[in-house]
This record gives sequence, structure tokens and C-alpha cells, in this order.
Amino acid sequence: MITVENLTKRYGSTTAVQDVSFTVQPGSITGFLGPNGAGKSTTLRMLTGLTPPSSGTATIAGKRYVELPNPGRVVGVMLDAAAQHAGRTGRETLALNASLLGVPKGRADEMLEAVGLSHAAKRRVGQYSLGMRQRLGIANALLGDPAVLILDEPANGMDPEGIRWMRGLLQDFASRGGTVILSSHLLGEVQATVDRLVVIGGGRIVANGSLDELLAGTGTLVRGLDPIGLNQALTAAGLSVEPGLDGSLRVDATAEQVGRAAAAAGQILLELRQSDGAGLEDLFFQLTATPAAA
Amino acid sequence: MTTLTETAPATPAKHKAAAGTALPPARGQSFLKLVTIELRKSLDTRSGRVLVAAILLIALAAMTWQITHLGEGTVGFDAFLSAGSVGTMLILPVIGVMAMTSEWTQRTALTTFTLSPRRVRVQLAKFVSAIALSAVVMTVVVAFGFVYTALTAALTDHATTYAGLGGQLAGAYLTMALNVVMGAAFGAVIAQTAVAILVFFIAPTAWSLAGPALFKDNANWLDVFSAFGRIAERNLNGMLPETLTAIGVWVVLPTVLGLWLSSRREVK
Repeated sequence: MITVENLTKRYGSTTAVQDVSFTVQPGSITGFLGPNGAGKSTTLRMLTGLTPPSSGTATIAGKRYVELPNPGRVVGVMLDAAAQHAGRTGRETLALNASLLGVPKGRADEMLEAVGLSHAAKRRVGQYSLGMRQRLGIANALLGDPAVLILDEPANGMDPEGIRWMRGLLQDFASRGGTVILSSHLLGEVQATVDRLVVIGGGRIVANGSLDELLAGTGTLVRGLDPIGLNQALTAAGLSVEPGLDGSLRVDATAEQVGRAAAAAGQILLELRQSDGAGLEDLFFQLTATPAAA
Repeated sequence: MTTLTETAPATPAKHKAAAGTALPPARGQSFLKLVTIELRKSLDTRSGRVLVAAILLIALAAMTWQITHLGEGTVGFDAFLSAGSVGTMLILPVIGVMAMTSEWTQRTALTTFTLSPRRVRVQLAKFVSAIALSAVVMTVVVAFGFVYTALTAALTDHATTYAGLGGQLAGAYLTMALNVVMGAAFGAVIAQTAVAILVFFIAPTAWSLAGPALFKDNANWLDVFSAFGRIAERNLNGMLPETLTAIGVWVVLPTVLGLWLSSRREVK
């Protein structure tokens, strides 16, 4: 379990992260989203003890990261798959860390096999593709059999097959009680993988909830023969109307209310249904758009 | 990547201990463990092994040159030791520098410091590991010295001597350790391998050239090479304060500064 409470990071006069709080529960995958420079990486770095927070706390299983005697046994971290020594082989990279974590040597080979890198075990990491480095990074994160995973852009550079594999792995991990937080720019992938979302914009949390909740459509979508007339009729009926791009209207009311209002005004309807949930992409831009953003 | 497509999805659940071998309980990281890890890191890459091999080859070459260019009279073990030490003392500090800088240039600091968040401990382990590795390398060079002295006795008509052996070895190991710590300290302060090596070699040399011109005899207080020389010869010539000051400024100060800086440095 990850608990972040009122985390703030200031660099001089600029505030990178301001009063960020959220929790990630066991058995769930939380997507951590935000545009570049929103404070995502800074938050993950404070969570993993790399950057001391200006104020607030972040704990994993009740302890601050730096207080964990052997963090790799509790939490698997991959912040940048490219940050691996190019001159070491894949197996040596894992064997070194296995030794540090106090797990048997065989664990390195086991993990290489689990991520599909057995055939490349003896090759130097410098010769790995980015997707292979991601797999190695995942293997490294899983090495100590942690209960928590913190992954920054784990799907970056992976092919579609790799992305699907990763999704299966993470869902499997969570289904066995693991806690996962991952950041990603691949919104479609996030939508397909996570249960919950924490969205950060301008250093603050702008949304925090379950994926279904955040993406749930609200209101009713209606399209009529005479869009302007229909709009007037619905507004006159006291309903809140938001015109769409294709002449459709989104109304903050039930289908029945909309139908009655239209019938009363003699408007002919072409379409009347429950509004679709906004896609994650729309939600993302809606939440993180700032006046200053160019 | 295409070769992975068949194998990868077939084994999605193997990473959890429940599905494989049970892991031993988690324990803290002992300092000895950290030192062992750092030692292994200095030797498990091609660059690390090449560096050590180069030091040994240069020492061999120097001793071979020495044995084929013997002067008149009795040949001492120290002749071979100092021949072998020249290159060794020059390159060993690079092991120290690289122990510190490679984490940052190869960006492995990210993994290292997430797995071991107490950075000062890790940095201290690097110092100890660099000294240990250098001591082993130095011991091989010393062994070469014995072999060449024995060869001299066996193959030439020169008489050989091991007079003053203990002092020579003590001086050699002590200077070696100071050099390596100084290299590691510079590497900890300046996280770029090339820049750190350059500064390590140029700054004290520049001082030993410019200092006397500017400060006359007072320059001795900061001349680290002369200080090393006096230590290597186990003869401080009544210059104990000067020696300690030079070591303090060029070795101790950068070490403390390096530990402080690298414990606060932003890991990219």
C-alpha cells in the first residue's frame, strides 16, 4: 500500500509539486497521469527516496522509503529503463541486484525467463532494444518479490505484443494482492490496464478516483432535425444544454425529461440516448488544460 | 523483439514467489555486502577488466625494460618495485574515479540508490572497494617485483638485495591507497569521468608548477605530490605539518565534499 500525504516539493521559488495526497490500495493498479512537467516524475522520485520532499510524507507499507532496510524486497521500482549499464550483460545486471537483495542467484535466471529474455541473458545491455530494456527493468523490479510496484512509463518502447504481455503481468500481479502505480503517456494502454486514476496537472492532483467513475458519461445525448429549435426548447424547459460539434446536444437530464421537453415543443428527434463516457484522452485534456499551456 | 512473441505470454505468473521458489526472508544490507557488490561492479564490465589488465601489462613492461637495462652493481627489489609502480600509481586512481563516476555517466545511480537509499553508505563502500581492488592489483605488481628480482639473480651476474623491503612495501601501499582515495574523491565531487580524471591529473600538477612561483616555499603546504613522495620514502624531512595539510586539502577535503555532494545530487 502506498500513502502519499500533502507532499510538496519546491525548487527555489517554483513549486514542482503542491500538496499532493493519494493512496494506492493493494490489489489495484493505479494510473498516474499528467502532462510533461506536471510533477509526475518528481512525485515518483519523492516516493522512492531519490528526492527529499519540502514537506509532506510518502510511505510504502507504512514506512518512508529510505527507512526500508532492503527496499527492493518490498517495492519494485523502475523509473527509467534506459538507466542500465550498457557494458553489463542482462544476467549480470540482475545477478548483482539479486545479491544485494539477498535472493538466490537462480532468481536472476527465473526473472529473465519470466520476462522472455532468456535468449539474451548473456548479451550486453548496450545491445538491447528499448523494449528489451523495459523487460529487463521489469525483471529487476520483480526480483525481490515485492508487494508494491512503482513503474514510470513501463510500456514505453514496447511493441503491441509487449504491451499486452505487460498488461497481463500487472493485472496478474494486482489480482494476487499486489499494489501497482504506473505512469504512462499511452492513454489507450492506461485505460485498458488500470483500475484507478490519479491525474496531476501543474503540480496538483486534479482528479483521483476509479477509472469507471471518472470516465462515466453524464447526461443524455440528443440530436434533432432542427438543432437550434431543439436547443431553445430544452433550454426553455429549464434543462442545461451543451451543444456538440455534429449538431448533437448533451443534456444534463434523463432521456425521458429530454423526450418530454422535445415533444412538448413539437421537435422531431433523430437520436436520443445515454451520453457516452468521454474517452480518457478527452478527460486528460479537460483536466490538465491550463490557460498558460501553449 | 519478434523472437519474444511466442515465449513471453506463456509465462506471465512466474515472477511471484508463490509460483516459484520461496525466497529467504528480507534482511538489511550489511556494509560488507555493499563493498562486495561494488567490487563486483568494478570488474564485471569490459572497461573495468581492461583497466586492471592495462595496469598489470604496463607494470610487466616496465619491469621487463628494467631487467634489460640494469646498471652496474647490486640490484635491489626496490628498482623493480618503483619501475612497476610508475604506471600503477598513474592508472590505479582511475579505478577510484570510475567507481564514483560510472554510476552517474551510465545512469545506474537511479537503480543503485533506489535499491540502497542510504547513499553515504554506498559511497563509503565504493571507497573501500576501490582501495581493496587497488591493494589486490598492487599485490600482483609486488609479486611481479619478486619474480623479476629472482629472475635477475638467476639469469644475470648481478647480485640482488631485498634490503628495506618492509618500508618499501609500506610506502608503496600507503601512497597507492592515498592516490586511489584522492581519485575516488575527485570522482565523487565531479560526476563526469573524463572531467574528473582531467582535473585529478591537472589540478595538483598545475599547483606543483605554479605554486612555487607564486608562494615560494609556502607552496609546499599544498603540494600533494611532494607529500606523497615523502610518504613513499617514509621520510617526512621534518615536514609533518606540510604533509598533513597537503593530504588534508587534496584528499580529505574532496572526500568529505564528494560524500556530501553525491548524497544530495539529483539522480537523473
